[in-house]
Amino acid sequence: MKLSVQEKQPMVYMVAIEGEVDMSSSPELRAHLAPLFRKGTSHVIVELSGVPYIDSSGIATLIEGLQLSRKSSIRFTLAGARPSVEAVFELAYLKGVFEMVPRIEDCLL
Amino acid sequence: MELKQISGPITLDIPTDPAALFLVRFLVERLTQRLEFPQDQVDRMVLAVDEACTNIIRHAYGSSLNERIILTFIVEPDQVEFRIRDFGLQANPENFKPRDLAEVQPGGLGLHFIRSAMDQVRYETPPDGGTLLTMLKFRNRKEVSDP
Repeated sequence: MKLSVQEKQPMVYMVAIEGEVDMSSSPELRAHLAPLFRKGTSHVIVELSGVPYIDSSGIATLIEGLQLSRKSSIRFTLAGARPSVEAVFELAYLKGVFEMVPRIEDCLL
Repeated sequence: MELKQISGPITLDIPTDPAALFLVRFLVERLTQRLEFPQDQVDRMVLAVDEACTNIIRHAYGSSLNERIILTFIVEPDQVEFRIRDFGLQANPENFKPRDLAEVQPGGLGLHFIRSAMDQVRYETPPDGGTLLTMLKFRNRKEVSDP
């Protein structure tokens, strides 16, 4: 798995993921994601179009992100999930819990 | 051409290193595709086997990297059987319950994924230690997808 963090707009951060998010890679995602929920951040976006597979470890990491976003009143969006990844969210009854958009442009001003 | 049967079990012996799990996923995906399961069921079976191994690494072996998991796949005309054997800490299988899905909490989803993917799931605690998880998926069965 490869990760990159970009400031897409002032105080709007995007974490782009390439590769499978599983038990071996989710700690790295957690390490990149959690620090973004800090004072001044307005929006955190996780770009998932490069993710062919996610397991419960990856889902748990994103739920932690969601909890941090709620605690800090920072918007949190998942963008570009492939159908195979969306299906895992659906299976976990989480599709309506996260803000999910087809493309990153759909959640930027 | 659809693969009907493989005459004898296939065994995969892996370390409890999460970095090895992609190989398990690859094997389950190719096998179940050759058995002509629809892709959504293939994806669910891959996830179920992966989650079973993840649970073993985390709970039975306390995330130690140097233990073993033995996976056995048995392909028969009417079903595919996945056996996953560990030699770690035993727990009472009656306590293996997925969490309430209405709660949005990290963790506890693995068992739900396993039960969603498979037709039968059975845990045994053999007398020589560890746990044997047996998961069955029937073939050629028309299923109604979850809404």
